[in-house]
Amino acid sequence: MTILTRRSVLRNSLAVAAAGTIARPFIANAAAKTATVWWTQGFVPEEDAAFKRIVEEYQKASGNTIDFSLIPFAPLMQKIVSAITGGDVPDLISHDINDQVLVPQNAWDDKIVEVSDVIDTQKDKYHPTVYLGTQYYNSVTKKRGGYLIPFKTAILPFHVWTPLVEKAGFKLSDAPKTWDAFWDFFKPMQPKLRETMRNVYAMGLQCTTTGPADGNNMFHHFLIANGGNDIVTKDGKAHLDDPKVKEAVIKSLTYITKAYKDGYVPSGALSWNDADDNNAFHSKLFVMDLDGTISTEVAIKDKDERSQVATLGQGNKNDGTPMTPELGIGGAFIPKGAKAIDVAKEFMTYMIKPDVSNGFLKEGLGRWLPTMPSIVKSDPFWTNGDPQVKAYAAAGMLSDTVANYPVFNPGWAEVNATQVWGAAEADIIRNGATPEAAADAALKKIETILAKYPIVQS
Amino acid sequence: MASASVIDVGRHLVGRRSLFSNLRGGLQGSEYAWAIAFCIPYVAVFIAFVVYPVLYGLWLGHKPSLYVELLHDPIYQDTIVNTVLYLVIGVNVKMFFALLLSGFFMRKGWWTKGLLMIYVLPWAIPALPTFISIHWMLNTQWGLINNILWDTFHMDGPGWLDTSRWLALGSVIVSYIWKNMPFWTVILLAGRMAIPQELYEAAEVDGATGIRRFLHVSFPLLANLYLVCTLLSTIFTLGDFNTATFISGGGPALSTHVLATLGIRDAFEIARPELGVAAVLSALPLMIPLVMLLMHKLRTSEVQL
Repeated sequence: MTILTRRSVLRNSLAVAAAGTIARPFIANAAAKTATVWWTQGFVPEEDAAFKRIVEEYQKASGNTIDFSLIPFAPLMQKIVSAITGGDVPDLISHDINDQVLVPQNAWDDKIVEVSDVIDTQKDKYHPTVYLGTQYYNSVTKKRGGYLIPFKTAILPFHVWTPLVEKAGFKLSDAPKTWDAFWDFFKPMQPKLRETMRNVYAMGLQCTTTGPADGNNMFHHFLIANGGNDIVTKDGKAHLDDPKVKEAVIKSLTYITKAYKDGYVPSGALSWNDADDNNAFHSKLFVMDLDGTISTEVAIKDKDERSQVATLGQGNKNDGTPMTPELGIGGAFIPKGAKAIDVAKEFMTYMIKPDVSNGFLKEGLGRWLPTMPSIVKSDPFWTNGDPQVKAYAAAGMLSDTVANYPVFNPGWAEVNATQVWGAAEADIIRNGATPEAAADAALKKIETILAKYPIVQS
Repeated sequence: MASASVIDVGRHLVGRRSLFSNLRGGLQGSEYAWAIAFCIPYVAVFIAFVVYPVLYGLWLGHKPSLYVELLHDPIYQDTIVNTVLYLVIGVNVKMFFALLLSGFFMRKGWWTKGLLMIYVLPWAIPALPTFISIHWMLNTQWGLINNILWDTFHMDGPGWLDTSRWLALGSVIVSYIWKNMPFWTVILLAGRMAIPQELYEAAEVDGATGIRRFLHVSFPLLANLYLVCTLLSTIFTLGDFNTATFISGGGPALSTHVLATLGIRDAFEIARPELGVAAVLSALPLMIPLVMLLMHKLRTSEVQL
């Protein structure tokens, strides 16, 4: 039996400490094979199952470990902001509005890793708007670079309850194609439906100050339809004094707020969050709305009921030319301070492979679209299957689209976050401001925000 | 002269030794080292979970420009008004009715006890489901209240949370009172039960009954407790996030935010944590005097009958 003495304890302790010091690099290397990943929880369980399957397949193929957390949309946003502020970050972060909020501002602040080497593995296959939407401006390096690794996209289709249209005595096939006229088509349905139904409205316009995304997205599409898409151009310059842009802002504010004040929109829309309009649609509070992805449709589990929803593309602008919807890009980024950057990059290189990402999106019921037109063209799932998916995919991947404004100027992420348009709409609706005055105030506010983000032109 | 100096030095040494001994709590030799060793985990926990977060928060919100930005923000200006109304009306109405109801619940009888049990339910049930239930009850289109109005009078009820700031803020304040009044009623009830019965009997002999008994016996004896409870409740309410978030969500059009909810909005929705922390820290000029007054009142032990 060994007798412990003070000297032997000291000697052995020193030996353990020395061994630990020498072995440390190897332990660190071993740790680098595990990447911590924060991922948005899916809207339907199938999306989570698809992600878990891909992680499993990657782990089997690579020998690396993906230590992932699936976190709901709102808490994940809080967790990410806290982590980046505090400096204790995971290796990879995917949030559904990375492209509109997190990546623009953190790329600007040089807080995320440039990942062009990952993005470029599929560069030639990406939809041009998708590739454009990966490039953000860094105020430290004073140039644009690839910061968002895209694996899914979305546009805002129209969602219409066809039984309500028919009950009101109308046919959806008679709907006009131009923007304002299309919305107007649903207004006469409201009094007809109210003959037998209490509390039913024509449209679910999200004239909200709550956000985070729906109110801004809806307004931007009105802006595009009224010819105001050049409010920010690709060089990051804002054109707030451009008469054409200002006119588009006024027209958009006028249409939205008049529809609300005329009673065609549920009064609670002023404070809707991104889930409230979906819930209101499901309870048949209104006939139609314009909302991102087809989450509205896939959340309806009853097949017969789901088939009663018509999913439509966006038709034409008010000048008769085809609408160019904003293409939202779902992707992941690597925050600076991440310990396993190589594993995170390798995992995303695997994730964005056409067959892998397509499998992931199909298993998630097609709520999100692929990033590559070739996938949509070659896979019947997107072109010959579910009519809702077919219309959605055609509008998103096989038509002209535009990038979100924060891609061009990161200041627009703050414009979106502060809900400038929702505040202008509320000012007209609640305080009786004129659309002209509200537009002036909104544009001035935007000017103040964007002044904090000077972009050097190369 | 020399002998006097020696005595002075000796006195000085004895004085230092006793001071040192006092600092050591009378512990000798290794006892002192053990005492420090046992304290270290608690000090470490205190530093990690109290000192560090407070200092980090102060550091995040230390830039004066943040406060200038807040002061120019109309939403912040509305929020300050809302917070003051929420505190002044919410806390005082709640405490006043809690005081009255605590007198009611002093009545003897099994039914009073049964009623008390039902009365404390809103406080006992978690905040989230109760506030969400109220939020749904107030829904303009399909909420319980407007449905009852429709079924009974065939009239459309108001948009409780939809368009009017004051209706929405009123709904937040009423919900807050409903949720928290039972707790403070029970606290004041306990205070009333601690008043010796003999005092009431003596007052009755002197001819004090009813309201005079309350004014001359109950109220003076409860005054300090009432004030302490009001101060505590004000401090709690200043940091209350749940009520405004789950009843009105800060709407309509961001008009019913209070400081606690605006801080979260600025920190996480606008993704500017430093601005959110500054919004919350701007309550310090109110919070610090409240805490000092509370500490002062906690030392008060005399009661003037």
